[in-house]
Amino acid sequence: MFLVTELLSLLATNLILTQALGTSTLFIAAGNKKNLLRTAIAISVFTSVGSGAAYIINRLLPDGLSDLTLLFYTLIIGIIYVLLLTALYFIGSESFGNTRKYVHVSAFNCAVMGTLFTVTERADTYPQLNTFFNFVLSGIEAGAGFILAAFILTAAYRKLNSAKVPASFRGFPAMLVYLGLISMAVYALR
Amino acid sequence: MKNRKTAVFDGLLGDNTVLSALMVISPVIVCGNTLENAIALIYAFSAITFFSVVLSSFVPRRLPYAAKIIFYAVIASIVYIPVKTAAREFFPEVVTRVGIYFPLLAVNSLIVVQTEAKFFRMKRGAMIGSLVFCILGFDAVMLITAFIRELLAYGTICGRLVDADTLISGLALPFGGFIFLGLLCGLYRKVRSAVGHDSDNTGGDGNVSGN
Amino acid sequence: MQIKTKSDRFIWIDIMVTLLTLELMAYFYYGVRAVVLASVCAVVSVIAELVCLRFMHRKFTADDLGCVSDALILSLMLPAVLDFRIAAIACVFSVVAAKNIFGGRLNMIFSPAAAAYVFLYTSWKNQLLMFSEPHVRTGVFEKASSLVSSASNSFNINGKMNVTDFEILLGSVSGPAGAVSILLLAVAAVVLLFRRSISAGAFIGSISASALMALIVPASVTRAASVKYTLVTNMVLFASVYIIADRRIAPKREYYAFFYGFFLAACSYILVITTAKENAIVIMSILFTPVALGFKNLEKHIELVQIEEQKEAEMAAAAVTDGEEAADEE
Repeated sequence: MFLVTELLSLLATNLILTQALGTSTLFIAAGNKKNLLRTAIAISVFTSVGSGAAYIINRLLPDGLSDLTLLFYTLIIGIIYVLLLTALYFIGSESFGNTRKYVHVSAFNCAVMGTLFTVTERADTYPQLNTFFNFVLSGIEAGAGFILAAFILTAAYRKLNSAKVPASFRGFPAMLVYLGLISMAVYALR
Repeated sequence: MKNRKTAVFDGLLGDNTVLSALMVISPVIVCGNTLENAIALIYAFSAITFFSVVLSSFVPRRLPYAAKIIFYAVIASIVYIPVKTAAREFFPEVVTRVGIYFPLLAVNSLIVVQTEAKFFRMKRGAMIGSLVFCILGFDAVMLITAFIRELLAYGTICGRLVDADTLISGLALPFGGFIFLGLLCGLYRKVRSAVGHDSDNTGGDGNVSGN
Repeated sequence: MQIKTKSDRFIWIDIMVTLLTLELMAYFYYGVRAVVLASVCAVVSVIAELVCLRFMHRKFTADDLGCVSDALILSLMLPAVLDFRIAAIACVFSVVAAKNIFGGRLNMIFSPAAAAYVFLYTSWKNQLLMFSEPHVRTGVFEKASSLVSSASNSFNINGKMNVTDFEILLGSVSGPAGAVSILLLAVAAVVLLFRRSISAGAFIGSISASALMALIVPASVTRAASVKYTLVTNMVLFASVYIIADRRIAPKREYYAFFYGFFLAACSYILVITTAKENAIVIMSILFTPVALGFKNLEKHIELVQIEEQKEAEMAAAAVTDGEEAADEE
């Protein structure tokens, strides 16, 4: 019962289904199971580490300079981006050519940056969530939400790209409507 | 092969930024539900994207890809500051309503992906032309989406009440945005294939590149 | 075990017969308004289907009448006094956005009626969940004078219903026009199960999960009352027959269909007892679409593996026969 309620809350707070953040990245990832897993992992790393760093920046940045938040978040993501690429290079320089593309796709997109802003916004609304642990946890949740949404899309991928779908709607338009209907059910849960 | 002149206009009609390449769709889905929102987002998107891409074109080409992308994102984040300050003057309510989607415009695909994949492979004049049409492509879709969704969901046009008695409130919500954009995207493809722009019209995977 | 494929048309006729019976009951309780609502839904759906097929350059055949049964399922889930325009919009939505965008009856992903219901739930929740009392007949173009919330709502909040078992069985309780006639629904379920027009696995899975959950985590004072009310409220029985066990949506293999129905119903029960969400099973059926598709993908994969294995076995057998023949010739 606990698992089901957790799963439902993961759906209800899913950034893709409720806020459309990272939808195109999801579309790229869902095309191939290997792509999906690696992109999801890369995005989870960015969202969780990035959220932790966002907490520190929020603490250090004076209120009057809130317009600089984006710049600092961009710098954080930039640093994580470089560190991740360096780590991948040293871990497996042979497979680096293949794996780096997932980092490139995942670094600067709405899914990651949107998570940092959403987590910050939530912490502003509910001060009890304004802890380092909660920021990291929310980042991990966002990554898990991305994986969940990717699985939801992957399950229908074959049908949405089937020759039976009218040519004009095959692929992306059908995917959008499909995600819209799932998002509608998620909204009805609230 | 397309000639260069046609390629410059592609961002608006032939290869629309939103409907064909599915770039920058989150603001359209979530915030494209009133004309007021749309105008504020059009202003922010156009200003941030145009100045960021033009300024980014001066970043040395020799740098590694990752470094260049970071530079582009940082430039966009800097351009965002004056754009937001001006937006607060002109659209104070909308900036609050749009919330996180305002800063997210600074990491849109035209800046962090299309710069390397498309714009910086062109000469500067052609690049600016193509960029302007890509921006106009987004603006047009945003306006159409916002107009129809506002009319059907709230029964208003730019905040003014019109005579509509059955309102579909769900259309203003993100799921309504997903479904509406999906339908619009299909319609766009149908029209494009009808005018012979896309002879095979196979649908399926196009060139989606982030955001 | 995979049940032999039955013609879509026969399935449709079976479903239509049971739906029309329910519609008759709706007429008995709510008068001509319920019938007009169903007719509006059916006509709008047929027109929308015709237009969509025209766009797809396909011909309208008898098989495309499936949209009528979807329209009737939807109309039976609605209050009889619902605005006709809203019902018409929902029907257009079900035919266009939930069905034909994905290729229509040849490539069904969602239950059109369930999608349309959730669409109404998100856009016109107040109108959707307020009902006229049974036997209160509203004229075709009149507005209902007094509306009440459903018996399901009272169960979700108080854990009990202030009606007799006889009234529950006959459907003489406030609620959707056709989804509360429990006796009739039970008969329809048995008939459709015997005629193999619905997925037995999904139906049994759904009903058993609802009953089991109601027994383990009772929503009423007694466990017996919990099971009884859980099965008759929140459109559990109706959705189990016409949405979850829909052969177009549920997995083909009965044991996969069972698990699909089981988890779907279990999750909706949890949703009902934690949030008192009315008719959660219909919302959950949309959320479980990826699960059904996942099972179907698995079935397809298994079928492919089986075909390959069969081919390999045939080739091996052929090789053995060839070898024996060669040996005989020598």
